[in-house]
Amino acid sequence: MTETSKKRPPSPEYQTYGEIVWGQFKKYPVSYYSLWGVVGLFILAMVCPLIALNVPFYLHVPEGVGPERLQGTSYPWLMALFDRNFFESGVDIFFNFLLFYVPLVLLAFTFLTRQRPGEDKAKWKKRRMRFLGIASVIGVGIFIFLYYQDFRQPYVNYKALAELDGVTAIFPFIDYSYRDVNLMAVMQGPSMEHFLGTDREGRDVFTRLLYGTRISLTIGVVAVSIYTAIGLFLGSLAGFFGGRVDTIVLRLIEIMMCFPVLFLILTLVGFLDEPSIFHIMLIIGLTGWTGIARLVRGEFLRLRNQDFVQAAIALGFDRARIIFRHVMPNAVQPVFVAATFGVAGAILIEATLSFLGVGPANAPSWGQILTTGRNTQQMSLILSAGFAIFVTISLLNLIGEGLRDATDPKMRK
Amino acid sequence: MTLYILKRILLMIPTFAVISMIIFLVLNLAPGDPAARAAADGTETVSQDAQESYRIFKEQFNLDKPILVNTRYNLRLDQVEEEVRVIADFRRPICPDPELLAAQEEEDELAAFAPETPPAEEEPELEIADEDDGNCIDVADRPRSPRMMQAQEDLPNWGDYAVAHLLTIARDHERLDMRITAANQLSTNARRPLVRRSDPDPPPEIRDLNRDISRENNTLRGWRVPLAAEPEVVDAMVEENWEPWFEENRHRFEYSSGDKVRIFFTDTRFARYWANLLTLDLGLSTVDRRPVRTTLLQKLPYTITLSFFAILIAYLISVPLGIWSAYNQNTKRDQFVTVLLFVLYSLPSFFTAVLLIEFFAVGRPFSWFPAGGFIDPNADGWPLLNQLGSIAWHIVLPVLCLTYGSLAALSRYARTGLLDVIRADYIRTARAKGLSEPMVIMKHAVRNGMIPILTLLGTLLPALVSGSIVIEFIFNIPGIGLYLFDSIFMYDYNAIMGCLLLSTAMTLVGLLISDISYAIVDPRITFD
Repeated sequence: MTETSKKRPPSPEYQTYGEIVWGQFKKYPVSYYSLWGVVGLFILAMVCPLIALNVPFYLHVPEGVGPERLQGTSYPWLMALFDRNFFESGVDIFFNFLLFYVPLVLLAFTFLTRQRPGEDKAKWKKRRMRFLGIASVIGVGIFIFLYYQDFRQPYVNYKALAELDGVTAIFPFIDYSYRDVNLMAVMQGPSMEHFLGTDREGRDVFTRLLYGTRISLTIGVVAVSIYTAIGLFLGSLAGFFGGRVDTIVLRLIEIMMCFPVLFLILTLVGFLDEPSIFHIMLIIGLTGWTGIARLVRGEFLRLRNQDFVQAAIALGFDRARIIFRHVMPNAVQPVFVAATFGVAGAILIEATLSFLGVGPANAPSWGQILTTGRNTQQMSLILSAGFAIFVTISLLNLIGEGLRDATDPKMRK
Repeated sequence: MTLYILKRILLMIPTFAVISMIIFLVLNLAPGDPAARAAADGTETVSQDAQESYRIFKEQFNLDKPILVNTRYNLRLDQVEEEVRVIADFRRPICPDPELLAAQEEEDELAAFAPETPPAEEEPELEIADEDDGNCIDVADRPRSPRMMQAQEDLPNWGDYAVAHLLTIARDHERLDMRITAANQLSTNARRPLVRRSDPDPPPEIRDLNRDISRENNTLRGWRVPLAAEPEVVDAMVEENWEPWFEENRHRFEYSSGDKVRIFFTDTRFARYWANLLTLDLGLSTVDRRPVRTTLLQKLPYTITLSFFAILIAYLISVPLGIWSAYNQNTKRDQFVTVLLFVLYSLPSFFTAVLLIEFFAVGRPFSWFPAGGFIDPNADGWPLLNQLGSIAWHIVLPVLCLTYGSLAALSRYARTGLLDVIRADYIRTARAKGLSEPMVIMKHAVRNGMIPILTLLGTLLPALVSGSIVIEFIFNIPGIGLYLFDSIFMYDYNAIMGCLLLSTAMTLVGLLISDISYAIVDPRITFD
């Protein structure tokens, strides 16, 4: 043993709370695999354009064929990904951006973890987490920059171009986009050309289903993030300060709980001239926070009188520090469980709205595919969209169940 | 206990008031003006009659009032003048632009060589003056159409509050066309609304009063001047008719501070709505002009039937199921049932409903049940038993769809509720006493273990009303959910308000019931 290690014995390997929960969570195989299922859905949502897009990866147009602008060799797929004419919605642009950014970050992350932790494992772990945090902040920054670049290209019908003489084009596996209207192929049954058939406007349903993953996941995650933030804020205020603040927040919660939320959401969305998925996210987010707020308030009330918080108060730390560093980390555990179920709930609400015909008009939402199938009596549409919703909701609910059991000390295995 | 219930009911009132205010604000501030939706089109070319019926429509539904607070008693002369000027300016012809005129002449000459081309479509409002005589307006200064429509909305909406200012403009303003516009606007604004218009059978004194008001309104309507009137005609109209009338009715247009406070709070849409609400009057539907309350009461039985059977069946199945699976905890059977219920819980009800219709409705592979509706359309003359049979046959599928989702949640609650209790000391004591196992379970465990599930009853009530919106939509059952859904698309504000308030009231009552049932079932809980 060297001198240094004698002076500083390796710090004992405490398990953090997160590690305990993760260890417990792994003991519920169904929930554990469901988590991977949802990760898979996210990956699927990211790689949509790799699987299905009506723009070729590689295009070579010889001289004298087609418009002059396109002559020579080009890579239109890459440009189309960030083209606001092509992908109107910011959601699509975001996922297209992730398609490049996530592999990069993962690569850097594995490189970082290759380095041995050294003697201070806790510090090393902290550095890893900090890297992920910084990477996601940078990512969001780059995305916002990209989004406001407002990059647009004139529309080109590449499929017609590819059929001209001498043109070489390599398309993705499925060469349709989710809004490719084809009036010559309306309401077809499943075939090798269209795996799940086409809808009333001749759009390929399989492609729409694929891109619908993006919408469902985004709505679920963003809406729940909004209301979790509101709930955390109000709940911690009420629980920590008590007294009059508590009364006001409790009154607010009581009022919101009596709101006919689905009716209200339906009314609001019905009144919007062009409801986009952002409106739906916002409305779900603004109406759904009561459950989280009550949970957090309860946890804060419980924790406020415990010794470590009293000690922190006695030490004279400022309130923000006590709330965010001492109480909050101990209070968020039930929030995670509620948020997981909440994502499933938000996805269900969006599907319901789209099913009722008040959702975003052109977005390839699953509920909308289902309702189209119902109107045109196409079983392939009903079944595929219904199962997509069902599977996603089940996976999320299963994760929630596992997480609930994993965070429950009584259930510890 | 009585005190507690009383306290809760009293607390419900402010909660209900706040919720109704929020819903009201949200509806009224949401994009899309109800009045504009109801009018065929709000363009400035609508005829006098259409404008008049639009104004009456707004008056009838209080849409001419401000939403929350009314400060119109403070209306200033220059505000009124501005609106009158917009309308007057909009009517003025446009000054000829010399360059445009030259181009026009050239075009006319060219047109002489090509007589086949059809004449360009004329725009009726854009009247161009023949020469610059000082009475015309530059294109750049002419108010735009939306501004004009705004002015046409504002002036009638101001009603009584603008009368004094309009009279001042009609009498003193230097521009003749503004005096004419103001005088004509006066004959609209000076009219008095009828009292208790929606009452189908008013008492005689109200009827007499309304007759007087109508007579006066008719006289006022006649006091208009033609748009091209000479100054003397306007002077005569103002001096002979309006000024004596104004002197006579001066009390209507002068506001004491008490009046101002009253107007500030009560002469608003919200106050009017609430005043009606206190007498349980939900207003008229803008679509079929029938009272919303009547329609709601007519639709409520459908929704209640569905919810009642759905809740009943869900409880009848889930409580025994929960007890059974708690008793067989961690066996294969329990796991199977748990997984099955979990699958049911995650199945969206609209998906199941569509599938059920696709397979079991009339005309589909199995054709066992009707595809929609609540009762056979020809069932009017049938004997009661047959009618009930028809209803039962119709609601099997909808009730099934409403039931299965809550089934999973309820039986899980029942299971965990019993599991919590079954390890308690008093159960061990009961067993040690030598009680039979059914006795232990039924009398000691179940009664305590079912407390949480009982309290869910109250919260299920509103959930089933709002959950039935999808089911009512798919099975075409004319209940509250479908009514709300249709009203949203028709922008029928009073109907939407009615549905939302009904749902809120049901939630409040449901929460109260669940709290009370807590205390009844569990003697350990008291609220005193």
